[in-house]
Amino acid sequence: MARPHIEPFVDRDVPFKKMTLPGFPKGMQYKMLSIDTDNGACSMTVLFEPGYKQPPGMSYTEYELFIMTGSVTIGEKVHGPGSYVFVPAGVAIEALSSSRGATGLLFYNHGEPSFVESDSDHPRAERDRFASVNAYENMQWTSTNFFPATAPGCLVKVLRFDQRTHAFTFLYCMTPNFWQDNISYHDCVEEAYHIWGTSWMMQFGELPTGGYFWRPPYINHGAFGCKLGTLAIGRTDSQLYNHFHFNPWTNPEENQERAASRLLHRNPELYKWVNTHGHNHPIDFDYDHGHAQGDTPHHHGDGRVDHGHKKKKRRRR
Amino acid sequence: MKAIPHKRSREVEAWLKRELVEQKRRYKKIVAEQDALAPKRDKWVAEFLQRIQTRGTHVHWDQMRKVRPEEIPVKPKRKFRVVF
Ligand SMILES: [Fe+2]
Repeated sequence: MARPHIEPFVDRDVPFKKMTLPGFPKGMQYKMLSIDTDNGACSMTVLFEPGYKQPPGMSYTEYELFIMTGSVTIGEKVHGPGSYVFVPAGVAIEALSSSRGATGLLFYNHGEPSFVESDSDHPRAERDRFASVNAYENMQWTSTNFFPATAPGCLVKVLRFDQRTHAFTFLYCMTPNFWQDNISYHDCVEEAYHIWGTSWMMQFGELPTGGYFWRPPYINHGAFGCKLGTLAIGRTDSQLYNHFHFNPWTNPEENQERAASRLLHRNPELYKWVNTHGHNHPIDFDYDHGHAQGDTPHHHGDGRVDHGHKKKKRRRR
Repeated sequence: MKAIPHKRSREVEAWLKRELVEQKRRYKKIVAEQDALAPKRDKWVAEFLQRIQTRGTHVHWDQMRKVRPEEIPVKPKRKFRVVF
């Protein structure tokens, strides 16, 4: 069932635990924020103890690291507060150390945390997707580029954007006295962690510093308010579209059906094609056909999404 | 590529099991806390439904519109859940 709806959770309420997974060096502690029940993908607050040392190595799944306090040094480069690193699966990073300690967030996206000592990339590593930026020092706040948009006073810095899925990782802030009087839901998962500040939502009440949520698609949130300002980091797993409304009592099934209906009006030609084509398994000429990757649910006109395929020659473009 | 196929050791499987048990506990605690918030939430909802008729509801960015009284939804009989 992927990850359950964890909202709200405040990590200040629980102590750090020692990371004991094989491969990880001593001196790393964590608080589990949410974990996928199928594949072990998870989000954690992490603490690198002063003197932490990790040899060069890789993970079997891509991960994202954001530094909140202190610093870590990777190779020669010091990553202080605001540093964000995206490491694709199998990409070996240089030795990592933290002489004075650090706290941060660590997101393992498609599998459980793993660390394999290695000074070279795995043969399947996609190194060109590696990204590293200091969001506090080298990025400016911008308005959200969503249509429809969140109310003025919510600003973002986009740390990473996936061109295929539109999944993105971003810092966001709410200015003091920010308010937005509507209810929102999305077709994507939304995840966030409050680095500093308290904000309010009509469903869940106040979310303080250290507050966290993992919110599956189609769950109502909002109205919104923030008295003193908030700095947070957010992530989605696909495109974030703001389905705004003002009915506090709708459930995710109703919200999803409404989203599908709205798609019909917003993208009528595309909706018609997907809905009437026998083989509802569109091929993107930019990528391998999904059968090869096995990542695209579809049916062959019979509505049976749960079916297998015999190995056959891949279509070529 | 999302992840590189690999075999999980027993230690890793045991760790995952422990974390999933803890998460279940965390989830139950959240549901209980959110249930306890119901009276406050009902008040917030009532205030919200008032505000969107007087000041308006956000449609896009700073665009707002006032909601007519007949558009205000009626609370259904089922339990008002916010955690799913
Ligand atoms: Fe949202």
